[in-house]
Amino acid sequence: MSSSLPTLFILAIAVALGFVGWFTTPKGPNQTLIRTSVLLTLACCYLMWTVTYLAQVHPLESPKRAAMEE
Amino acid sequence: MGDEYSTLFRSEQMSLVQLIVPTEVAHDTIAELGELGNVQFKDLNPDVNPFQRSFVGEVRRIDEMARRVRFFANEIEKEKDLIPIRPLYDSAPLVTVGPRAAQTIDELDVKLAEHEARMSQMNKSYKDLSDRLKELIEARHVLRETAVFFDRAAARETEVRPSLDDSSAPLLQHDDREHQYSAAGDVQLDLEFVAGTIDRTRLSTFERVLWRMLRGNLYMNYIDIQEPFVDPETGVETRKNVFIIFAHGDMLLSRIRKVASSMGATIYPIDANADKRADSMREVTARLEDLQIVLYNTGTNRRTELMTIAESLASWQDVVAKEKLIYETLNLLNYDVRRKTLIAEGWCPTRDIAQIQLALRHATEESGTNVPPILHELRTNRTPPTYIRTNKFTEGFQTIMDAYGIATYQEVNPGLYAVITFPFLFAVMFGDIGHGFIIFFAALLMIMFEKKLAKADQGEIFGTFFFGRYIILLMGVFSMYTGFLYNDIFSKTTHFFHSGWTWPEQHGNGTITAASNGHTYPFGLDPAWHGAENGLLFTNSYKMKMSIVLGVIHMTFAVCLQVPNHIRFNRLSDIYANFIPQMIFLQSIFGYLVVCIIYKWTIDWSKASTQPPSLLNMLIGMVLSPGSVDPDSQLYRGQATVQVILLLMAAVCVPWLLITKPYLQYKEMQKTHGQGYIGLGADEGPRTAEDVTLEGEEEGNGRAIVEANDEEHEQHDFSEVVVHQVIHTIEFCLGCVSHTASYLRLWALSLAHAQLSEVLWDMTIANVLGMTGLIGLVAKAVVGVLWLTMTIGILCIMEGLSAFLHALRLHWVEANSKHYEAGGYSFAPLSFARLNEKQ
Repeated sequence: MSSSLPTLFILAIAVALGFVGWFTTPKGPNQTLIRTSVLLTLACCYLMWTVTYLAQVHPLESPKRAAMEE
Repeated sequence: MGDEYSTLFRSEQMSLVQLIVPTEVAHDTIAELGELGNVQFKDLNPDVNPFQRSFVGEVRRIDEMARRVRFFANEIEKEKDLIPIRPLYDSAPLVTVGPRAAQTIDELDVKLAEHEARMSQMNKSYKDLSDRLKELIEARHVLRETAVFFDRAAARETEVRPSLDDSSAPLLQHDDREHQYSAAGDVQLDLEFVAGTIDRTRLSTFERVLWRMLRGNLYMNYIDIQEPFVDPETGVETRKNVFIIFAHGDMLLSRIRKVASSMGATIYPIDANADKRADSMREVTARLEDLQIVLYNTGTNRRTELMTIAESLASWQDVVAKEKLIYETLNLLNYDVRRKTLIAEGWCPTRDIAQIQLALRHATEESGTNVPPILHELRTNRTPPTYIRTNKFTEGFQTIMDAYGIATYQEVNPGLYAVITFPFLFAVMFGDIGHGFIIFFAALLMIMFEKKLAKADQGEIFGTFFFGRYIILLMGVFSMYTGFLYNDIFSKTTHFFHSGWTWPEQHGNGTITAASNGHTYPFGLDPAWHGAENGLLFTNSYKMKMSIVLGVIHMTFAVCLQVPNHIRFNRLSDIYANFIPQMIFLQSIFGYLVVCIIYKWTIDWSKASTQPPSLLNMLIGMVLSPGSVDPDSQLYRGQATVQVILLLMAAVCVPWLLITKPYLQYKEMQKTHGQGYIGLGADEGPRTAEDVTLEGEEEGNGRAIVEANDEEHEQHDFSEVVVHQVIHTIEFCLGCVSHTASYLRLWALSLAHAQLSEVLWDMTIANVLGMTGLIGLVAKAVVGVLWLTMTIGILCIMEGLSAFLHALRLHWVEANSKHYEAGGYSFAPLSFARLNEKQ
């Protein structure tokens, strides 16, 4: 059965990726930029995906369409 | 954040430095600093007017040289097809620093003056010759055209009865008349006339004036000159006519001449005698030929001269512009005649001081002296300029934020976050894999041919797109991601995973409803919704809720960015006077809404005992009738209590925001007064000077501190603080509501984009897909091209621009108003590199 739990699972992965990104960013003039970008990208992409996923877990509507005439 | 490297997070730390430069090395020092480009000089003689400054003579001289160089550039510009200007990177560098600098400049000055004299001489003679040529050509036309009249007149000579009366002849002398009569036969036809040329547009006026003047007694002939006369300087074409007016009597003739000259006509002396006319025709033609040869030679010489100039024009322009900048900067410095030094003050990034020291030493070595300029830092409490180092990637994003306002010194810079949030919010409105790929690909092309394109002249519109190429690249990437989530590719759909819906077997013509099969489509929108009758109903609700969620989170993030500012500027009280109440207010209403949205999604309403509530009604009910929730449509148990508590929390925040800050200010003021300090710098509190500071002042560093006093200090009046805080509170609380609503533009634009691309597909390609055979093939090709053009023109460019503007607004208004003070002024260093950009 569908459940909302995968969002938490993916969240854990996103957070882990965030940590990896934070610590693997090479030192240099662009360190802050890269770290910020990685974290924000993960956050944005995760949010968008979660919202899309959650909206479909327990749908209130079912898709309808006119039957094709054969 | 390490302080090792400069970041986009805050603007650079700046220092006010003082330079003491011996006069001998002043020029070279400034030149070196200009190459380096990171010192902004302050005007140390603000009271001295521009004509009394120390280096006025030099500036004038350079201006004169600049004028000459501009003159050459203009001359070359007129014939740019023939004369190539050798680019700067190809020319031999003209060294204007070091011991021989003065001589180089002198030589250049002399050379420019010589060239100019030669140029203007040539221009003058060229112009004279051209004018003469024009006159001769006109004369030739007049001769040629009037010949026609005369020929006609000559042919009819027999018909013409010459005037019987000599105007002075007595009426009664019949003999004389007889005599005259017989003589008339062999005397040439005595015609008196005026001939010349006139502008065709004036011809009718001319004729009318003459008609009036001669009381209708006008015999005028005119003929169009076929070829236009082109003014060699302006390139304007004028068309002229040859006219000839026959009249009788000296008086009339002179009056006609007067009218003609006042109308701008040119009159040419033409002889009535045919032989003489032929002679002058021959003469004019001969002179024309000569003149044309001379003119050609002059033109060639002029072009050769321009070629020589064009060889080194770029380097002259460069040198002159640099020298001008150097002397203008030197004028800003304080000239100490007695000690033969110049004193400069200016801002520079603190981390570049070592580099500047190195440049100073280099300048000393270059100029061959051994008195180095001395640099030391000054203490000041003036606000330094804002300097954010960008690279070609971040430049565009930073420009977006700078267009809203230059960050206050050392304030958190939203440009850093805009690097991701801007393309992301854009993509939410623009989500489509296909369209995303088109703009991604366009940006990729611009980046791949970056170097070539940067050199070429781009024009204003393409230049803007080129400047934002990295923004467009990220916008494309994110649009592809959101396109996957919306499951849209050119309004079609992809089907990678197992759909969560199963369509039943078809029976009859009714509507069929898909049944859930227990799966959830793992990435993006289920393809079953595509083409479903109620597809819009679902995406509508989904996108609206998503825009609320993203909006509230974006605003929360923006409010959080206050905290580093409060800490950095040591306004810890602002954390609990501003940040915390704002956060509680935002979260207790809109944060709660987001939680409810997510909670509602996680509930399986088919198994729940209650009906799914409408969240919009819930939010309205929460504010309008707190404490009462219809148990049939409640989201969770105890909802009424929770909502009352949240509402109370929000309500408390308003007076909290309103009162705390003014109160703290008031107490601070009381404290200051209590210690016996009045007025002066009430906002800074009592001045607790450390020993080091005082010592510095004693040693002569006091200068900057004294000066700082004449900078305008905003008097932070108590009433001003109150008014400011009231406005701030009202703005924030109302802003929370209107800004949340404002994020709904994400929903509206993304729906509009999807619908528009679907309509485009349906109206073009969908119509020709069914066609077969040759016609079908042709139709497909034609419609395909049409579809692609409109996809790029309307969906990618126009829709893209609109989504760009909305993303811009969300950043400027909705996010920046939460934390960004933007009260700084930007760092404008003396830099030769910027000079080239301007050109």
